[in-house]
Amino acid sequence: MTTSIDAKIRERVQQIETMPAIPAVFLPLLKLLSKSAEDVKVDEVVRLVSYDNTIAGQCLRLAGSPLFGLAQAPKSIKGAVITLGLRRVETILLTCCLGQAFPAKKWALDPAVFWRHSLGCAMVCRKFSEKLSAADSEQAYMAGLLHDLGFMVNCLAFPKEFATAMETGRQQEIPLGEAEQATMGFTHCETGRALAEKWKLADDIIEVIAHHHSVEQSQKVRPLVALVHLSDLLCRMRGLGYGYYERHKVDLIADPAWSVLLKDHRDLEGLDLARFTFELDEAVEEIEILVATVFGSAPARA
Amino acid sequence: MHLEASGKMTIVHQPVVAAPNKSAEVIDPVYRQIRDLVYKTSGIYKAEEKLYLLADGCGRRMKQLAARTPREYWDRLNAAPFGDAELRELLNEITIGETCLFRSQAQLDALRKVILPEIVAEKSKQITRRLRIWSAGCSTGEESYTLAMNMLEESESLLKGWTVEILATDLNDRSVETAKAGIYGDYALRNTTDYYKRKYFSILDEKKLEVRPEVKKLIRFSRLNLQDDSKTLFMKGMDLIFCCNVLIYFDAASKTKVVNNFFTNLNFGGYFFLGTSESLMKLNAQFHLVHFPGTIAYWKPSLSSGKL
Repeated sequence: MTTSIDAKIRERVQQIETMPAIPAVFLPLLKLLSKSAEDVKVDEVVRLVSYDNTIAGQCLRLAGSPLFGLAQAPKSIKGAVITLGLRRVETILLTCCLGQAFPAKKWALDPAVFWRHSLGCAMVCRKFSEKLSAADSEQAYMAGLLHDLGFMVNCLAFPKEFATAMETGRQQEIPLGEAEQATMGFTHCETGRALAEKWKLADDIIEVIAHHHSVEQSQKVRPLVALVHLSDLLCRMRGLGYGYYERHKVDLIADPAWSVLLKDHRDLEGLDLARFTFELDEAVEEIEILVATVFGSAPARA
Repeated sequence: MHLEASGKMTIVHQPVVAAPNKSAEVIDPVYRQIRDLVYKTSGIYKAEEKLYLLADGCGRRMKQLAARTPREYWDRLNAAPFGDAELRELLNEITIGETCLFRSQAQLDALRKVILPEIVAEKSKQITRRLRIWSAGCSTGEESYTLAMNMLEESESLLKGWTVEILATDLNDRSVETAKAGIYGDYALRNTTDYYKRKYFSILDEKKLEVRPEVKKLIRFSRLNLQDDSKTLFMKGMDLIFCCNVLIYFDAASKTKVVNNFFTNLNFGGYFFLGTSESLMKLNAQFHLVHFPGTIAYWKPSLSSGKL
């Protein structure tokens, strides 16, 4: 990337009016997410949830959704946290925080499609890393959730340019990142990185945002970057993509990212990829319900 | 999720219950054991949201056997020496609904949008522009005709000047005869759009449509036993092989043998498709499992790809 484009991105990201700050609960929440489940106290989560009325309301709504099949929806935040389980509450929290940072309006990319892909990728990252004994599945989850942050930046900072990229992607049925490169000369990886740096997200997450489409160029946490890259591809092949058909063949095992991951995680060799793929389909419905609960309606599948 | 005295919590994985409209009855955990047994022996995987289909299939078998509980049925499936036979009956039950035209749109999209352009580009250097497709275990012909119609749709564009040959084989003589007739009712045609019905079928009577001669012309139906090596070896030079819900009935050794034969029968750069929820597990390491939107296939890497 040339320095002039880099400077332009930074300037625009600084100027975004609708991106005032991250909600106050966001950073404590990220800290919470980095802990292992055994070290998290229920009260701590309840306190975070209660901090924000919108978030509290969404948690309660989700707890009463058909997904959990409760005869009676929980009435208190604590009840909701216990019904939903800690990790789900964290997902909802993180989603709501980002949802507030980026208010839903008429975007080139339907916010519900964006969230479905992000939540889908987060879930695939977690399931994928659970198959690899030494991987940190909570970190993988967060990396998956945030990897495409740049698309939001593009919607806000480059609305016209990004709308053209989106239309090109849809018409030519090519991956959105390729369409961005062809029409704008830069991608969500660069814009996402600029925002992540402004927000002072963890270095590992910034690395994922910047390099999930260029694993070979990644300097650190390469296995994590590779894992997100592969999970992203899987999502797009299993109905959790950007809302349109991608004329695309994906050969995961021949992907350079597979070799990167294999170097650190030998147990990848034993993974039954077909079965893993079918298992992921089970998560799709859960994600649809999550998105519908948070955003009111589920987007069309593609 | 359990709360401990310390106020800390441990998370117990909470499986998602089927689709909201199906979640009224909770799935008996035994069905997950059956699901895993079915996968281990056949490569067919019924995802959590489709477990009710497996449960329905088991239900019909349980009625036949007068088994009262899923647990009792599970014991039957594992009892020597009839367990294997019962598993075949169950596989029959859970795959029976898949026999129709246009069974998998995702496979057809992958075929026309990605695979055909790739094969055409790869083979255009050759003198003979010929595409060979094998529908192995074609049953009553639904898949074969679907492929033929989709190839005809490309005959004025991508496949202009190409010869398409579809070889359709089945072990069962009666199936082959039915396939040749090409007569289908509403159930088999439930996924077929009016566009295809008008273009490629003629009306036989109120309830039946017949495939037109120009479609039939593309296909050669014959009887063939996939386990008969001396015969299958002749099925050479294939660009595509479709074998849907057939291998699931084979034991591990025959499965390996048949899949290895398929690999040999395919051209470099050719593709092998199974049924929609079916997989090869790890039967042949030379095949690459590749993903397309909504479907998977097995690829015999092309010589030029450097991925052999």
